[in-house]
Amino acid sequence: MAKRGPAAVAICSTAFAALGRAQATALGYPELPIAVIPHPFGSRTRDEVRQLAEQCIGEIVRLVCEAGPRDSSVVPNRSSLTERAALIKVPGDLDGLYSLFRERHWGDGLPVVPPTTERVERMLCHSHRAATEVVATVAPGFGAATIERIAANAVLAGCDPEYLPVLIAAVEAVAEPRFNLQGIQVTTNPAAPWLIVNGPIGKRLGVNSGVNCLGQGTCANATLGRALRLILQNIGGALPGEMDRATQGQPGKYTFCCAENEEMNPWEPLHVERGFAPECSAITVVGGASGTLNMNTHAKDADDLLRVIADTMAHPTSNDYWTGGEPWLVLAPEHAEILKRAGLSKSDVKRRLWEQSKMPAGRMAAKDRLRTGDARRAELGEIGPDTMLPISTQPELIGIVVAGGPGTHSVYVPTYGNSRSVTRKVVCNA
Amino acid sequence: MVGTVLIFDPTAPCQNEPKHLPPTLDDLRDKVVGFIDNSKPNFDNLVEDLAELLRSRYGASRIIKRRKRLSSHPAPEAMIKELSEQCDVVITGSGD
Repeated sequence: MAKRGPAAVAICSTAFAALGRAQATALGYPELPIAVIPHPFGSRTRDEVRQLAEQCIGEIVRLVCEAGPRDSSVVPNRSSLTERAALIKVPGDLDGLYSLFRERHWGDGLPVVPPTTERVERMLCHSHRAATEVVATVAPGFGAATIERIAANAVLAGCDPEYLPVLIAAVEAVAEPRFNLQGIQVTTNPAAPWLIVNGPIGKRLGVNSGVNCLGQGTCANATLGRALRLILQNIGGALPGEMDRATQGQPGKYTFCCAENEEMNPWEPLHVERGFAPECSAITVVGGASGTLNMNTHAKDADDLLRVIADTMAHPTSNDYWTGGEPWLVLAPEHAEILKRAGLSKSDVKRRLWEQSKMPAGRMAAKDRLRTGDARRAELGEIGPDTMLPISTQPELIGIVVAGGPGTHSVYVPTYGNSRSVTRKVVCNA
Repeated sequence: MVGTVLIFDPTAPCQNEPKHLPPTLDDLRDKVVGFIDNSKPNFDNLVEDLAELLRSRYGASRIIKRRKRLSSHPAPEAMIKELSEQCDVVITGSGD
């Protein structure tokens, strides 16, 4: 018999069957047989699982032996990687336009700016790359993010034309395999990409790095993060409730963007730490899981400050401890100054926090400790209740930026865990 | 009076060409069945029970079970290659 690979069947619980079907189609296997079992599945007792196996074995065998693919129904995709974005005629009044966008699920629920040909062309002047050039195909739907489509979504979000290069770099960054966009887009976790801007472009575009930099009120922060979200949803196909399966999501899914406060940073800025020249502009994307957790402390002593930050990082429901992740901190300039004055480098701070935030695995729920054992056995050996879990596999993986204005508030950004941040140069040549 | 304007469609069609899956089997007698355990809670138990039923009731000759380190990462290439080469059918899970 000719080697054609094995037959395949997927098992999904009812809540995830639509995702399974959409994902199989997006990956090019619309005919993949899927056996559906009742949801929730993970919390069933051992006996209940045995009964479920009895109930679904007949269906699985039927799918393997009878209901699998036949040779006729696959329709070739008409699109090509070089095609132009489609132009459509829409109502000229805002009410009509908003209803059309709502109907087609093209937005985030807020009013949008119509991506007219004039607006998109004005934005395209800010990149030397061809309008049809594909920057990346975006998981989980694998639509092609061409320069033109990135620009259309940037207009939609309300971006100024000169923001385009930042978004091109952001799309390149989220598409890097180590970012694990596939996981971030479809997970039940609230994960959202956090976009950090470094270098001169931050000032030039007016990206807020100071007072309320992760809050409302600045066009660049509001619309850059929003545009990235719209790209992930419109081009990547992660529609809420369909491919995007977030249990609750988080406000950062509307926008999550700031610049680093390089002037008040006593250490090297993030992009320099990652090998870029200080005069270079760069963006970093982080798979932030829970927005930000405020850490208000009047500690004036470096040891005291590190102790309370490390204590805040250690929590038993964290994906970072489960997977060996990449937690992030946004240090207030005043807190960074205390650490610097104590003679600590950024690398020293990371090592101290890594050591002091180790957490006994016994603080986790029993099931979570078991899956931590699966995920980190190669790194840590067998994991028992007394095993001290580091938050990341190495101290260097703790991310630190300095941002914000005056005040005693630093913030902790727990992450999706199964993701690594990516920094990319922003190329401006217009 | 309301006119119309021309705008760009912000969405993008899927770039992955649809592919055919290998055809179905006649039955499972003397066949090798592979499982990719997605490492979600309880899936290992389901795999154990299904494997037993496939052997005892449907005549599968051999079961190969492999487990992913993390549910949210794709199965490693080596695991896919091994199962592709050795199995007549591969069963996996998605979601919770």
